[in-house]
Amino acid sequence: MNRGSGPVVWTGIIASTCLLLFVFQKILWLVVPFLLALIIYYFLQPATNRLVLHGVSHKTAALVTGGSFIALLLLCAVLLSPWVGARIVGWEASLTRYIEGGSRLLLGTMGALEAQFSFLERASLSRNVSEQTAHFTETFAQRHLGDFVVTLAAWLPALLLAPFLAFFFLRDGRRFTRFIARAVPNAFFERTLYLMHEMDRAARGYFQGLISLTILDTVALAIGLWIVGISPPLLLGLVCAVLAWVPYVGSILGCLLVVLVAATDFPLDPWMAYGAIIVFVLVRLLDDFVFMPLTIGRSLNMHPLLTVLMIFVGGAVAGVAGLMLVLPLLGIAMVVGETIGMIVTDERLQARHAHSRRLRARQAAADLQS
Amino acid sequence: MFLFSRQEEFPRLKQLRALSLFSTLSPRELKTVDALLHQRSFIKDEVIFDQGEEGQALYIIESGLVLICRQGQPAAGRIAELGPGRLFGELALLDNSPRVAQARAAENCTLAVLFRADFLGLLQTHALIASKISLQLARHIGQRLRETITAPGSQSE
Repeated sequence: MNRGSGPVVWTGIIASTCLLLFVFQKILWLVVPFLLALIIYYFLQPATNRLVLHGVSHKTAALVTGGSFIALLLLCAVLLSPWVGARIVGWEASLTRYIEGGSRLLLGTMGALEAQFSFLERASLSRNVSEQTAHFTETFAQRHLGDFVVTLAAWLPALLLAPFLAFFFLRDGRRFTRFIARAVPNAFFERTLYLMHEMDRAARGYFQGLISLTILDTVALAIGLWIVGISPPLLLGLVCAVLAWVPYVGSILGCLLVVLVAATDFPLDPWMAYGAIIVFVLVRLLDDFVFMPLTIGRSLNMHPLLTVLMIFVGGAVAGVAGLMLVLPLLGIAMVVGETIGMIVTDERLQARHAHSRRLRARQAAADLQS
Repeated sequence: MFLFSRQEEFPRLKQLRALSLFSTLSPRELKTVDALLHQRSFIKDEVIFDQGEEGQALYIIESGLVLICRQGQPAAGRIAELGPGRLFGELALLDNSPRVAQARAAENCTLAVLFRADFLGLLQTHALIASKISLQLARHIGQRLRETITAPGSQSE
């Protein structure tokens, strides 16, 4: 297919991405489970295809993979609930301990800087920071814990929906494609099939790339943290890699988490925290220049400048949700926009559609004209 | 009981088995293929595809007649008229090459459409079914080639 698109089409693609982001941030309770379901769907799809390859019917394969995944989640919930229940009381204390550990590191670093630069000492930087962090840790639980629990309770049913949605995507995804195709006029049918195939290819490439990227990031971070001596490296690596799904903000949060753990577990050795930061920066560089082009970069086929600009636009339009949603939405909008552009500007297809409508109208009225 | 029940030949499966492309498939394989096929209805004189258009799908005639002709010349450029069970646009399944002729509905017709990406997916997930269809497709192309060579006025004669 001819894939050249003009400025009008591209303006439409970017405008529709922004509009979708704006709408989606209003219905995040639905969009986030849907997005998670897509990630689970594309994660389970290779296993489903493998079963189908071995002679299992599509429905049974979807039932086996989707059912196994849901059973695994339930098993994890059952096994982890006593552990979580026993520790939930101590979590507030642990959180405060980690924040204090982080503020100790911050104050130590500020003190060292004040000793080096007198203008910082005159500005009483470390005292101000100390007062603010003390106030933050004292009132943190009162101010945020209630909200956190209420938000979690509100989101939990929606999040539990994700594996079930993924199961139905696996089982009935093809039927949905046929259902959509049935509504398309004959003249645009082949192009629309191509469009849906390309959309699926772009989404599959993105989400399977995201899963591969998460695994690579987890392993790289875990190795780095294990070398530095911060534990548990695998869990921290996994949490940071999942946080990195949200561009920029997620990486900063991940780095903050690792630094807090390092500063609390090794209060007398600030170089552990600095080491963790170095590991994090190295893995980020590896991620940006090696892992990302190997996984997601290839799938979306976007110009890096456009990617960066759209991430900023996504953040401005829909905040953190926008950062997370902007790239997959842009990928889909690109395919849809380019194909619609091709259909709308193809005068021959438009003429064929008009001809078909005339023929159908004539046939429908054939016995009425006598 | 469900596991050991015999696969009943539903009318739709019988209809598919009657098509030359799927004649060697078992009922279970036919059900798999049926899930991939799209059914389209064309009205007399409606254009199915144009000459020079990039082909994305193969068409199988379930009912009605289809005229294959030179672009915009249904009478003077007539190449063939195909009836139920026949297929056309098969080269689209093999490559991205443009359609070599125009296809028009010679009368109201119903077509089954196999999209190339679905066929390529079938090659990965159901290699046996795909190989059976490929063999039938090769036979069909061979027959077309023989017809072309033995046609009156052909240079090979």
